[in-house]
Amino acid sequence: MKHFAKYWSIFQITLLNSLAYPGEMVGRSLMIIPFMWIFYQLWKVTFSTAGADVISGLTLRDTLWYLMLAETIELSRPPLARTMSENVKDGSIAYILNKPYDFMLYQFSAAMGETIFRALVNAIFGGLTVWWLVGAPNHPEGFIIALPAIFGAWFLQFCLNAMIGLSAFVVEDVSAFTWIYQKLAFIFGGMLIPLNFYPQWLQTFAKMLPFSSAMYGPVYLSVAPSRELFISVMTLQLAWITALTILLIIIYRRGLTQLTVNGG
Amino acid sequence: MNPIEVNNLHKIFQTKRKAAGLAGSMRSLIKPEYSSTEAVRDLSFQMEAGELLGFIGPNGAGKSTTIKMLTGILHPSSGDAKVLGFTPWKERQKLAYQIGTVFGQRPQLWYHLPAMDTFILFGKIYELDDRETKKRIDYLTEAFEIKDLLDVPVRKLSLGQRMRCEVAASFLHRPKLLLLDEPSIGLDVVAKQNIRDAIKRMNQEEGVGVLLTSHDAGDLEALCKRVIIVNHGQIVYEDKVSNLKRKFLTNKMVEVRYAQEVAKDFSIAGVEILKVGHYGVKLKFDTAKTQVDSVISHLSSAGDIVDITISDPPLEEVIARIYQEANK
Repeated sequence: MKHFAKYWSIFQITLLNSLAYPGEMVGRSLMIIPFMWIFYQLWKVTFSTAGADVISGLTLRDTLWYLMLAETIELSRPPLARTMSENVKDGSIAYILNKPYDFMLYQFSAAMGETIFRALVNAIFGGLTVWWLVGAPNHPEGFIIALPAIFGAWFLQFCLNAMIGLSAFVVEDVSAFTWIYQKLAFIFGGMLIPLNFYPQWLQTFAKMLPFSSAMYGPVYLSVAPSRELFISVMTLQLAWITALTILLIIIYRRGLTQLTVNGG
Repeated sequence: MNPIEVNNLHKIFQTKRKAAGLAGSMRSLIKPEYSSTEAVRDLSFQMEAGELLGFIGPNGAGKSTTIKMLTGILHPSSGDAKVLGFTPWKERQKLAYQIGTVFGQRPQLWYHLPAMDTFILFGKIYELDDRETKKRIDYLTEAFEIKDLLDVPVRKLSLGQRMRCEVAASFLHRPKLLLLDEPSIGLDVVAKQNIRDAIKRMNQEEGVGVLLTSHDAGDLEALCKRVIIVNHGQIVYEDKVSNLKRKFLTNKMVEVRYAQEVAKDFSIAGVEILKVGHYGVKLKFDTAKTQVDSVISHLSSAGDIVDITISDPPLEEVIARIYQEANK
Protein backbone atom coordinates (compact mmCIF):
# COMPACT_ATOMS: atom_id res chain seq x y z
CA MET A 1 0.00 0.00 0.00
CA LYS A 2 2.82 2.37 0.98
CA HIS A 3 4.39 1.56 -2.36
CA PHE A 4 1.42 3.03 -4.24
CA ALA A 5 0.81 5.86 -1.76
CA LYS A 6 4.02 7.51 -3.00
CA TYR A 7 2.64 7.82 -6.55
CA TRP A 8 -0.60 9.32 -5.19
CA SER A 9 1.52 11.84 -3.25
CA ILE A 10 3.52 12.68 -6.38
CA PHE A 11 0.22 13.24 -8.23
CA GLN A 12 -1.01 15.49 -5.39
CA ILE A 13 2.14 17.61 -5.14
CA THR A 14 2.27 18.15 -8.91
CA LEU A 15 -1.37 19.19 -8.81
CA LEU A 16 -0.60 21.64 -5.97
CA ASN A 17 2.43 22.94 -7.85
CA SER A 18 0.35 23.53 -10.97
CA LEU A 19 -2.01 25.65 -8.85
CA ALA A 20 0.80 27.96 -7.70
CA TYR A 21 -0.27 30.53 -10.30
CA PRO A 22 -4.01 29.86 -10.83
CA GLY A 23 -4.59 33.12 -12.72
CA GLU A 24 -2.01 32.20 -15.33
CA MET A 25 -3.51 28.72 -15.74
CA VAL A 26 -7.06 29.99 -16.11
CA GLY A 27 -5.87 32.70 -18.53
CA ARG A 28 -4.21 30.08 -20.70
CA SER A 29 -7.31 27.93 -20.65
CA LEU A 30 -9.36 30.82 -22.08
CA MET A 31 -7.62 30.06 -25.41
CA ILE A 32 -10.12 27.27 -25.97
CA ILE A 33 -12.91 29.86 -26.40
CA PRO A 34 -11.58 31.44 -29.66
CA PHE A 35 -10.56 27.96 -30.89
CA MET A 36 -14.14 26.74 -30.52
CA TRP A 37 -15.54 29.86 -32.16
CA ILE A 38 -13.21 29.39 -35.18
CA PHE A 39 -14.14 25.69 -35.43
CA TYR A 40 -17.82 26.64 -35.29
CA GLN A 41 -17.45 29.11 -38.17
CA LEU A 42 -15.47 26.61 -40.29
CA TRP A 43 -17.77 23.64 -39.76
CA LYS A 44 -20.97 25.72 -40.10
CA VAL A 45 -19.81 26.74 -43.59
CA THR A 46 -18.83 23.14 -44.40
CA PHE A 47 -22.20 21.71 -43.36
CA SER A 48 -24.17 24.40 -45.16
CA THR A 49 -22.05 24.04 -48.33
CA ALA A 50 -22.62 20.28 -48.27
CA GLY A 51 -26.34 20.99 -47.76
CA ALA A 52 -26.55 18.18 -45.21
CA ASP A 53 -27.42 17.99 -41.54
CA VAL A 54 -25.34 14.87 -41.07
CA ILE A 55 -21.93 14.15 -42.62
CA SER A 56 -20.41 10.70 -42.09
CA GLY A 57 -22.68 10.10 -39.10
CA LEU A 58 -21.93 13.42 -37.33
CA THR A 59 -24.11 16.52 -37.02
CA LEU A 60 -22.66 20.01 -36.62
CA ARG A 61 -23.46 19.76 -32.90
CA ASP A 62 -21.67 16.37 -32.60
CA THR A 63 -18.68 17.76 -34.50
CA LEU A 64 -18.35 20.76 -32.19
CA TRP A 65 -18.63 18.65 -29.02
CA TYR A 66 -16.10 16.22 -30.56
CA LEU A 67 -13.66 19.05 -31.21
CA MET A 68 -14.20 20.51 -27.74
CA LEU A 69 -13.22 17.24 -26.08
CA ALA A 70 -10.28 16.71 -28.47
CA GLU A 71 -8.96 20.20 -27.71
CA THR A 72 -9.48 19.68 -23.97
CA ILE A 73 -7.42 16.47 -24.04
CA GLU A 74 -4.67 18.04 -26.16
CA LEU A 75 -4.43 21.40 -24.34
CA SER A 76 -4.37 19.72 -20.90
CA ARG A 77 -1.47 17.43 -21.74
CA PRO A 78 1.79 18.62 -20.08
CA PRO A 79 4.86 19.08 -22.32
CA LEU A 80 6.38 15.86 -20.98
CA ALA A 81 8.98 15.28 -23.72
CA ARG A 82 10.25 18.86 -23.43
CA THR A 83 10.35 18.66 -19.63
CA MET A 84 12.35 15.41 -19.71
CA SER A 85 14.71 16.95 -22.23
CA GLU A 86 15.16 20.02 -19.97
CA ASN A 87 15.80 17.72 -16.99
CA VAL A 88 18.63 16.06 -18.91
CA LYS A 89 20.03 19.35 -20.21
CA ASP A 90 20.08 21.14 -16.83
CA GLY A 91 21.15 18.06 -14.86
CA SER A 92 18.08 17.93 -12.58
CA ILE A 93 17.47 14.39 -13.86
CA ALA A 94 20.05 13.42 -11.19
CA TYR A 95 17.51 14.13 -8.43
CA ILE A 96 14.56 12.57 -10.22
CA LEU A 97 16.43 9.33 -10.85
CA ASN A 98 17.92 8.79 -7.42
CA LYS A 99 14.75 8.33 -5.37
CA PRO A 100 13.21 4.96 -4.49
CA TYR A 101 10.37 4.90 -6.99
CA ASP A 102 9.81 3.68 -10.50
CA PHE A 103 10.95 6.52 -12.74
CA MET A 104 8.26 5.99 -15.37
CA LEU A 105 5.47 5.74 -12.76
CA TYR A 106 6.83 8.92 -11.19
CA GLN A 107 6.63 10.65 -14.57
CA PHE A 108 3.09 9.37 -15.16
CA SER A 109 1.85 10.44 -11.72
CA ALA A 110 3.42 13.88 -12.17
CA ALA A 111 1.98 14.22 -15.70
CA MET A 112 -1.53 13.34 -14.46
CA GLY A 113 -1.16 15.83 -11.59
CA GLU A 114 -0.49 18.54 -14.15
CA THR A 115 -3.26 17.34 -16.45
CA ILE A 116 -6.35 16.97 -14.26
CA PHE A 117 -7.00 20.56 -13.19
CA ARG A 118 -6.13 21.96 -16.60
CA ALA A 119 -8.52 19.46 -18.20
CA LEU A 120 -11.30 20.48 -15.85
CA VAL A 121 -10.84 24.19 -16.56
CA ASN A 122 -10.54 23.63 -20.33
CA ALA A 123 -13.65 21.42 -20.32
CA ILE A 124 -15.65 24.07 -18.44
CA PHE A 125 -14.65 26.95 -20.74
CA GLY A 126 -14.83 24.84 -23.91
CA GLY A 127 -18.10 23.16 -22.89
CA LEU A 128 -19.84 26.46 -22.05
CA THR A 129 -18.70 27.97 -25.36
CA VAL A 130 -19.91 25.03 -27.44
CA TRP A 131 -23.17 24.86 -25.49
CA TRP A 132 -23.75 28.55 -26.28
CA LEU A 133 -22.87 28.04 -29.97
CA VAL A 134 -24.74 24.81 -30.81
CA GLY A 135 -26.63 23.68 -27.71
CA ALA A 136 -26.33 20.70 -25.36
CA PRO A 137 -24.64 17.50 -26.55
CA ASN A 138 -26.86 14.92 -28.20
CA HIS A 139 -25.54 12.19 -25.89
CA PRO A 140 -24.43 13.74 -22.58
CA GLU A 141 -24.05 10.23 -21.10
CA GLY A 142 -21.31 9.66 -23.70
CA PHE A 143 -18.83 11.73 -21.69
CA ILE A 144 -19.25 9.42 -18.70
CA ILE A 145 -19.09 6.26 -20.82
CA ALA A 146 -15.93 7.51 -22.54
CA LEU A 147 -14.13 8.40 -19.28
CA PRO A 148 -12.05 5.17 -19.08
CA ALA A 149 -11.07 5.62 -22.72
CA ILE A 150 -10.14 9.27 -22.06
CA PHE A 151 -7.80 8.18 -19.25
CA GLY A 152 -6.47 5.49 -21.59
CA ALA A 153 -5.86 8.24 -24.17
CA TRP A 154 -3.83 10.22 -21.67
CA PHE A 155 -1.84 7.11 -20.80
CA LEU A 156 -1.11 6.40 -24.48
CA GLN A 157 -0.10 10.03 -25.04
CA PHE A 158 2.12 9.69 -21.99
CA CYS A 159 3.81 6.58 -23.47
CA LEU A 160 4.41 8.26 -26.83
CA ASN A 161 5.71 11.48 -25.28
CA ALA A 162 7.84 9.64 -22.71
CA MET A 163 9.52 7.71 -25.55
CA ILE A 164 10.39 11.02 -27.21
CA GLY A 165 11.49 12.38 -23.81
CA LEU A 166 13.72 9.37 -23.21
CA SER A 167 15.51 9.99 -26.48
CA ALA A 168 16.90 13.04 -24.62
CA PHE A 169 19.05 10.55 -22.65
CA VAL A 170 20.99 10.14 -25.89
CA VAL A 171 20.38 13.23 -28.05
CA GLU A 172 19.54 15.81 -25.30
CA ASP A 173 17.36 18.03 -27.52
CA VAL A 174 14.07 16.49 -28.60
CA SER A 175 12.25 19.46 -30.15
CA ALA A 176 12.44 18.00 -33.69
CA PHE A 177 10.84 14.72 -32.57
CA THR A 178 8.16 16.59 -30.63
CA TRP A 179 7.31 18.63 -33.73
CA ILE A 180 6.95 15.51 -35.89
CA TYR A 181 4.84 13.77 -33.22
CA GLN A 182 2.48 16.74 -32.95
CA LYS A 183 1.86 16.85 -36.68
CA LEU A 184 1.24 13.09 -36.84
CA ALA A 185 -1.14 13.33 -33.87
CA PHE A 186 -2.99 16.23 -35.53
CA ILE A 187 -3.49 14.33 -38.77
CA PHE A 188 -3.90 10.70 -37.70
CA GLY A 189 -5.35 11.39 -34.27
CA GLY A 190 -8.34 13.30 -35.66
CA MET A 191 -7.61 16.38 -33.62
CA LEU A 192 -8.66 19.01 -36.15
CA ILE A 193 -10.88 16.87 -38.40
CA PRO A 194 -12.73 13.79 -37.09
CA LEU A 195 -11.41 10.70 -38.90
CA ASN A 196 -15.01 9.97 -40.11
CA PHE A 197 -14.57 12.76 -42.67
CA TYR A 198 -11.44 11.18 -44.25
CA PRO A 199 -11.61 9.02 -47.40
CA GLN A 200 -12.26 5.38 -46.49
CA TRP A 201 -8.71 4.13 -47.20
CA LEU A 202 -7.15 6.88 -45.06
CA GLN A 203 -9.69 6.28 -42.30
CA THR A 204 -8.83 2.57 -42.20
CA PHE A 205 -5.12 3.34 -42.10
CA ALA A 206 -5.40 6.10 -39.45
CA LYS A 207 -7.63 4.02 -37.17
CA MET A 208 -4.95 1.33 -36.95
CA LEU A 209 -2.35 3.76 -35.56
CA PRO A 210 -1.86 4.52 -31.86
CA PHE A 211 -2.65 8.23 -32.47
CA SER A 212 -6.26 7.26 -33.14
CA SER A 213 -6.52 5.33 -29.84
CA ALA A 214 -4.92 8.29 -28.08
CA MET A 215 -7.52 10.77 -29.38
CA TYR A 216 -10.13 9.92 -32.04
CA GLY A 217 -11.45 6.66 -30.53
CA PRO A 218 -12.24 7.97 -27.02
CA VAL A 219 -13.54 11.31 -28.32
CA TYR A 220 -15.80 9.76 -30.95
CA LEU A 221 -17.10 7.35 -28.29
CA SER A 222 -18.20 10.34 -26.21
CA VAL A 223 -20.33 11.83 -29.01
CA ALA A 224 -21.66 8.53 -30.43
CA PRO A 225 -21.71 6.16 -27.46
CA SER A 226 -22.68 2.54 -28.03
CA ARG A 227 -21.81 -0.81 -26.49
CA GLU A 228 -20.11 -2.03 -29.68
CA LEU A 229 -18.04 1.12 -30.09
CA PHE A 230 -17.03 1.03 -26.40
CA ILE A 231 -15.78 -2.55 -26.76
CA SER A 232 -13.90 -1.90 -30.00
CA VAL A 233 -12.32 1.39 -28.76
CA MET A 234 -11.26 -0.14 -25.43
CA THR A 235 -9.93 -3.34 -27.02
CA LEU A 236 -7.76 -1.50 -29.53
CA GLN A 237 -6.63 0.96 -26.86
CA LEU A 238 -5.66 -1.80 -24.42
CA ALA A 239 -3.67 -3.52 -27.17
CA TRP A 240 -1.77 -0.29 -27.86
CA ILE A 241 -1.29 0.40 -24.14
CA THR A 242 0.24 -3.07 -23.67
CA ALA A 243 2.51 -2.78 -26.71
CA LEU A 244 3.68 0.77 -25.99
CA THR A 245 4.22 0.12 -22.26
CA ILE A 246 6.51 -2.81 -23.07
CA LEU A 247 8.34 -0.72 -25.68
CA LEU A 248 8.66 2.17 -23.24
CA ILE A 249 10.21 -0.06 -20.56
CA ILE A 250 12.72 -1.45 -23.07
CA ILE A 251 13.66 2.05 -24.30
CA TYR A 252 13.96 3.31 -20.72
CA ARG A 253 16.30 0.49 -19.69
CA ARG A 254 18.47 1.04 -22.75
CA GLY A 255 18.40 4.82 -22.30
CA LEU A 256 19.64 4.59 -18.72
CA THR A 257 22.90 2.99 -19.82
CA GLN A 258 23.53 5.85 -22.24
CA LEU A 259 22.52 8.76 -20.02
CA THR A 260 24.88 11.69 -19.79
CA VAL A 261 24.09 14.10 -16.98
CA ASN A 262 25.25 17.62 -17.70
CA GLY A 263 27.21 19.50 -15.10
CA GLY A 264 29.48 16.61 -14.14
CA MET B 1 31.89 -3.98 5.29
CA ASN B 2 32.94 -0.52 4.18
CA PRO B 3 29.98 1.62 3.04
CA ILE B 4 31.88 2.59 -0.11
CA GLU B 5 34.28 0.34 -2.03
CA VAL B 6 35.44 1.65 -5.40
CA ASN B 7 37.70 -0.39 -7.66
CA ASN B 8 39.21 0.86 -10.91
CA LEU B 9 36.18 2.95 -11.79
CA HIS B 10 36.37 4.48 -15.25
CA LYS B 11 33.95 6.79 -17.08
CA ILE B 12 34.36 8.00 -20.63
CA PHE B 13 31.93 10.49 -22.15
CA GLN B 14 31.48 10.84 -25.91
CA THR B 15 31.26 14.52 -26.80
CA LYS B 16 30.02 15.68 -30.20
CA ARG B 17 32.46 18.05 -31.93
CA LYS B 18 31.34 20.71 -34.37
CA ALA B 19 33.31 23.35 -36.23
CA ALA B 20 31.98 26.91 -36.05
CA GLY B 21 29.54 28.31 -38.61
CA LEU B 22 26.94 26.90 -40.99
CA ALA B 23 29.43 24.74 -42.90
CA GLY B 24 30.53 23.16 -39.63
CA SER B 25 26.91 22.48 -38.67
CA MET B 26 26.17 20.84 -42.03
CA ARG B 27 29.35 18.74 -41.87
CA SER B 28 28.44 17.66 -38.35
CA LEU B 29 24.97 16.67 -39.55
CA ILE B 30 26.28 14.47 -42.35
CA LYS B 31 29.32 13.09 -40.60
CA PRO B 32 29.19 13.68 -36.87
CA GLU B 33 32.51 13.61 -35.08
CA TYR B 34 32.93 12.60 -31.50
CA SER B 35 35.77 12.93 -29.07
CA SER B 36 36.20 10.96 -25.87
CA THR B 37 36.58 12.64 -22.51
CA GLU B 38 37.86 10.57 -19.62
CA ALA B 39 35.93 12.07 -16.72
CA VAL B 40 37.06 9.41 -14.23
CA ARG B 41 40.22 7.35 -14.67
CA ASP B 42 40.90 4.16 -12.83
CA LEU B 43 39.58 5.44 -9.51
CA SER B 44 39.91 3.23 -6.42
CA PHE B 45 39.16 4.15 -2.81
CA GLN B 46 37.29 3.04 0.30
CA MET B 47 35.25 4.85 2.89
CA GLU B 48 34.76 3.62 6.45
CA ALA B 49 31.47 3.52 8.35
CA GLY B 50 30.54 6.88 9.89
CA GLU B 51 33.49 8.58 8.23
CA LEU B 52 33.43 12.18 7.00
CA LEU B 53 35.40 11.89 3.79
CA GLY B 54 36.30 14.88 1.66
CA PHE B 55 36.40 14.28 -2.08
CA ILE B 56 37.72 17.45 -3.54
CA GLY B 57 39.23 18.82 -6.68
CA PRO B 58 38.92 21.73 -9.10
CA ASN B 59 36.07 22.11 -11.60
CA GLY B 60 36.00 19.27 -14.13
CA ALA B 61 38.05 16.94 -11.91
CA GLY B 62 35.43 14.16 -12.05
CA LYS B 63 33.94 14.59 -8.56
CA SER B 64 30.31 14.93 -9.62
CA THR B 65 30.61 12.14 -12.17
CA THR B 66 31.94 9.86 -9.42
CA ILE B 67 29.04 10.79 -7.10
CA LYS B 68 26.55 10.14 -9.89
CA MET B 69 28.05 6.71 -10.49
CA LEU B 70 27.95 5.99 -6.75
CA THR B 71 24.24 6.86 -6.65
CA GLY B 72 23.57 4.70 -9.71
CA ILE B 73 22.49 7.52 -12.04
CA LEU B 74 25.43 7.01 -14.38
CA HIS B 75 26.79 3.69 -15.59
CA PRO B 76 30.59 3.44 -15.51
CA SER B 77 32.51 2.57 -18.66
CA SER B 78 34.42 -0.03 -16.63
CA GLY B 79 35.33 -0.86 -13.06
CA ASP B 80 33.29 -1.77 -10.03
CA ALA B 81 31.79 -0.08 -6.98
CA LYS B 82 29.81 -1.23 -3.98
CA VAL B 83 27.82 1.27 -1.93
CA LEU B 84 26.35 -0.23 1.28
CA GLY B 85 26.74 -3.61 -0.41
CA PHE B 86 24.81 -2.64 -3.55
CA THR B 87 26.11 -2.17 -7.07
CA PRO B 88 24.61 1.30 -7.57
CA TRP B 89 23.81 1.21 -11.31
CA LYS B 90 22.25 -2.27 -11.00
CA GLU B 91 20.36 -1.77 -7.71
CA ARG B 92 19.65 1.95 -7.83
CA GLN B 93 16.19 1.81 -6.22
CA LYS B 94 17.21 -0.46 -3.33
CA LEU B 95 20.22 1.73 -2.67
CA ALA B 96 18.10 4.89 -2.80
CA TYR B 97 16.31 3.89 0.45
CA GLN B 98 19.67 3.86 2.27
CA ILE B 99 21.39 6.98 0.99
CA GLY B 100 20.73 10.69 0.89
CA THR B 101 22.02 13.05 -1.76
CA VAL B 102 22.42 16.77 -2.17
CA PHE B 103 23.52 18.26 -5.46
CA GLY B 104 24.32 21.83 -4.49
CA GLN B 105 23.58 23.30 -7.88
CA ARG B 106 20.26 21.51 -8.40
CA PRO B 107 17.20 22.00 -6.22
CA GLN B 108 15.25 18.95 -5.03
CA LEU B 109 12.62 20.98 -3.17
CA TRP B 110 9.49 21.89 -5.13
CA TYR B 111 10.15 25.48 -6.12
CA HIS B 112 6.66 26.97 -5.88
CA LEU B 113 5.61 25.12 -2.73
CA PRO B 114 6.67 25.44 0.92
CA ALA B 115 9.53 23.09 1.85
CA MET B 116 7.15 21.29 4.23
CA ASP B 117 5.26 19.87 1.21
CA THR B 118 8.47 18.32 -0.13
CA PHE B 119 9.32 16.92 3.32
CA ILE B 120 5.91 15.23 3.49
CA LEU B 121 6.29 13.95 -0.08
CA PHE B 122 9.71 12.49 0.77
CA GLY B 123 8.14 10.78 3.80
CA LYS B 124 5.78 9.01 1.38
CA ILE B 125 8.49 8.28 -1.20
CA TYR B 126 10.73 6.69 1.44
CA GLU B 127 7.68 4.85 2.84
CA LEU B 128 7.78 6.30 6.36
CA ASP B 129 4.70 6.32 8.60
CA ASP B 130 3.03 9.72 8.86
CA ARG B 131 3.81 9.84 12.60
CA GLU B 132 7.45 8.95 11.97
CA THR B 133 7.69 11.62 9.24
CA LYS B 134 6.31 14.24 11.61
CA LYS B 135 8.71 13.26 14.39
CA ARG B 136 11.60 13.36 11.97
CA ILE B 137 10.61 16.76 10.58
CA ASP B 138 10.45 18.12 14.15
CA TYR B 139 13.95 16.82 14.87
CA LEU B 140 15.45 18.16 11.62
CA THR B 141 13.67 21.49 12.07
CA GLU B 142 15.52 21.93 15.33
CA ALA B 143 18.87 20.56 14.10
CA PHE B 144 18.94 22.77 11.01
CA GLU B 145 17.14 25.77 12.58
CA ILE B 146 14.54 25.90 9.82
CA LYS B 147 11.32 26.17 11.86
CA ASP B 148 10.37 29.53 10.35
CA LEU B 149 11.31 28.52 6.83
CA LEU B 150 9.20 25.42 6.29
CA ASP B 151 5.94 27.20 5.50
CA VAL B 152 7.46 29.69 3.05
CA PRO B 153 7.40 28.89 -0.70
CA VAL B 154 10.93 27.75 -1.59
CA ARG B 155 11.27 30.43 -4.29
CA LYS B 156 11.06 33.09 -1.56
CA LEU B 157 13.97 31.67 0.49
CA SER B 158 17.54 32.95 0.25
CA LEU B 159 20.13 30.52 -1.15
CA GLY B 160 21.52 29.84 2.32
CA GLN B 161 18.05 29.16 3.77
CA ARG B 162 17.14 26.96 0.82
CA MET B 163 20.33 24.91 1.15
CA ARG B 164 19.66 24.30 4.86
CA CYS B 165 16.23 22.95 3.88
CA GLU B 166 17.75 20.92 1.00
CA VAL B 167 20.29 19.22 3.26
CA ALA B 168 17.71 18.66 6.02
CA ALA B 169 15.35 17.02 3.48
CA SER B 170 18.09 14.57 2.49
CA PHE B 171 18.30 13.37 6.14
CA LEU B 172 14.55 12.72 6.43
CA HIS B 173 14.69 8.94 5.86
CA ARG B 174 17.66 8.37 8.22
CA PRO B 175 20.15 7.52 5.47
CA LYS B 176 23.20 5.48 6.41
CA LEU B 177 25.28 7.44 3.95
CA LEU B 178 25.01 10.98 2.65
CA LEU B 179 26.57 12.03 -0.65
CA LEU B 180 26.96 15.78 -0.80
CA ASP B 181 27.96 17.31 -4.10
CA GLU B 182 29.11 20.91 -3.58
CA PRO B 183 26.62 21.71 -0.78
CA SER B 184 28.25 25.07 0.00
CA ILE B 185 28.54 26.41 -3.53
CA GLY B 186 27.56 30.08 -3.78
CA LEU B 187 26.90 30.46 -0.03
CA ASP B 188 28.23 33.23 2.19
CA VAL B 189 30.47 32.50 5.18
CA VAL B 190 27.63 32.34 7.75
CA ALA B 191 25.43 30.11 5.60
CA LYS B 192 28.38 27.78 4.94
CA GLN B 193 29.08 27.51 8.66
CA ASN B 194 25.41 26.75 9.44
CA ILE B 195 25.37 23.89 6.96
CA ARG B 196 28.70 22.52 8.16
CA ASP B 197 27.55 22.60 11.82
CA ALA B 198 24.33 20.76 11.00
CA ILE B 199 26.12 18.07 8.96
CA LYS B 200 28.64 17.55 11.75
CA ARG B 201 25.83 17.19 14.27
CA MET B 202 24.02 14.58 12.14
CA ASN B 203 27.27 12.67 11.74
CA GLN B 204 27.87 12.64 15.50
CA GLU B 205 24.28 11.92 16.58
CA GLU B 206 23.24 9.41 13.91
CA GLY B 207 26.58 8.06 12.75
CA VAL B 208 25.76 8.79 9.14
CA GLY B 209 28.77 8.59 6.84
CA VAL B 210 29.33 11.62 4.64
CA LEU B 211 31.12 11.79 1.33
CA LEU B 212 31.51 15.44 0.50
CA THR B 213 32.68 16.92 -2.77
CA SER B 214 33.69 20.52 -2.87
CA HIS B 215 36.15 22.83 -4.49
CA ASP B 216 36.31 24.81 -1.26
CA ALA B 217 39.18 23.75 1.00
CA GLY B 218 37.29 25.38 3.90
CA ASP B 219 34.58 22.68 3.78
CA LEU B 220 37.28 20.12 4.13
CA GLU B 221 39.00 21.75 7.10
CA ALA B 222 35.71 22.25 8.91
CA LEU B 223 34.18 18.83 8.33
CA CYS B 224 36.45 16.03 7.21
CA LYS B 225 38.99 13.76 8.86
CA ARG B 226 40.32 12.30 5.64
CA VAL B 227 40.60 13.72 2.17
CA ILE B 228 40.93 12.47 -1.36
CA ILE B 229 41.98 15.04 -3.94
CA VAL B 230 41.18 14.29 -7.56
CA ASN B 231 42.31 16.03 -10.68
CA HIS B 232 41.63 15.04 -14.30
CA GLY B 233 39.65 12.06 -13.00
CA GLN B 234 42.51 10.60 -10.97
CA ILE B 235 43.45 10.58 -7.30
CA VAL B 236 46.40 12.89 -6.77
CA TYR B 237 46.41 12.86 -2.97
CA GLU B 238 44.86 10.75 -0.19
CA ASP B 239 45.63 11.41 3.48
CA LYS B 240 44.34 12.80 6.76
CA VAL B 241 43.15 16.40 6.59
CA SER B 242 45.55 17.28 9.42
CA ASN B 243 48.48 16.14 7.26
CA LEU B 244 47.18 18.02 4.24
CA LYS B 245 46.87 21.17 6.33
CA ARG B 246 50.36 20.78 7.70
CA LYS B 247 51.91 20.12 4.31
CA PHE B 248 49.88 22.10 1.80
CA LEU B 249 47.27 24.35 3.42
CA THR B 250 49.79 26.54 5.19
CA ASN B 251 49.11 29.62 3.10
CA LYS B 252 46.37 32.10 3.90
CA MET B 253 45.19 35.04 1.87
CA VAL B 254 43.98 38.24 3.52
CA GLU B 255 42.07 40.91 1.66
CA VAL B 256 41.33 44.20 3.43
CA ARG B 257 39.23 47.21 2.40
CA TYR B 258 39.66 50.55 4.21
CA ALA B 259 37.17 53.33 4.93
CA GLN B 260 39.55 55.93 3.53
CA GLU B 261 42.53 56.14 1.20
CA VAL B 262 45.66 54.66 2.78
CA ALA B 263 49.29 55.25 1.90
CA LYS B 264 51.12 52.73 4.02
CA ASP B 265 53.95 50.45 3.06
CA PHE B 266 52.44 47.01 3.53
CA SER B 267 55.73 45.13 3.26
CA ILE B 268 56.18 42.60 6.07
CA ALA B 269 58.84 39.94 6.15
CA GLY B 270 57.52 36.65 4.74
CA VAL B 271 54.36 38.21 3.32
CA GLU B 272 53.69 38.43 -0.39
CA ILE B 273 51.67 41.40 -1.65
CA LEU B 274 49.28 40.16 -4.33
CA LYS B 275 47.39 43.38 -5.02
CA VAL B 276 47.53 46.89 -3.62
CA GLY B 277 45.18 49.81 -4.27
CA HIS B 278 44.28 53.17 -2.70
CA TYR B 279 41.54 51.63 -0.56
CA GLY B 280 42.76 48.10 0.02
CA VAL B 281 45.37 45.39 -0.20
CA LYS B 282 45.54 41.64 -0.75
CA LEU B 283 48.31 39.62 0.90
CA LYS B 284 49.43 36.02 1.03
CA PHE B 285 51.57 34.44 3.73
CA ASP B 286 52.66 31.13 5.19
CA THR B 287 51.06 30.60 8.63
CA ALA B 288 53.96 28.37 9.66
CA LYS B 289 56.36 31.30 9.25
CA THR B 290 54.21 34.36 9.91
CA GLN B 291 51.53 34.63 12.58
CA VAL B 292 48.04 35.63 11.47
CA ASP B 293 47.58 38.15 14.32
CA SER B 294 50.81 39.99 13.49
CA VAL B 295 49.62 40.45 9.89
CA ILE B 296 46.18 41.61 11.04
CA SER B 297 47.56 44.12 13.54
CA HIS B 298 49.92 45.49 10.87
CA LEU B 299 46.99 45.92 8.48
CA SER B 300 44.68 47.48 11.08
CA SER B 301 47.31 50.08 11.96
CA ALA B 302 47.02 51.45 8.40
CA GLY B 303 43.46 52.77 8.78
CA ASP B 304 39.83 51.94 9.59
CA ILE B 305 39.00 48.54 8.14
CA VAL B 306 35.48 48.23 6.64
CA ASP B 307 35.86 44.70 5.29
CA ILE B 308 38.27 41.83 5.75
CA THR B 309 38.36 38.36 4.17
CA ILE B 310 40.71 35.55 5.19
CA SER B 311 40.67 32.65 2.75
CA ASP B 312 42.53 29.51 1.78
CA PRO B 313 44.44 29.39 -1.48
CA PRO B 314 42.38 27.99 -4.38
CA LEU B 315 42.52 24.21 -4.73
CA GLU B 316 44.29 24.55 -8.07
CA GLU B 317 47.22 26.03 -6.16
CA VAL B 318 47.17 23.22 -3.57
CA ILE B 319 47.15 20.64 -6.36
CA ALA B 320 50.04 22.40 -8.11
CA ARG B 321 52.00 22.18 -4.84
CA ILE B 322 51.15 18.47 -4.49
CA TYR B 323 52.50 17.88 -8.00
CA GLN B 324 55.63 19.87 -7.18
CA GLU B 325 56.22 17.79 -4.04
CA ALA B 326 55.72 14.57 -5.99
CA ASN B 327 58.25 15.64 -8.62
CA LYS B 328 60.92 16.54 -6.08
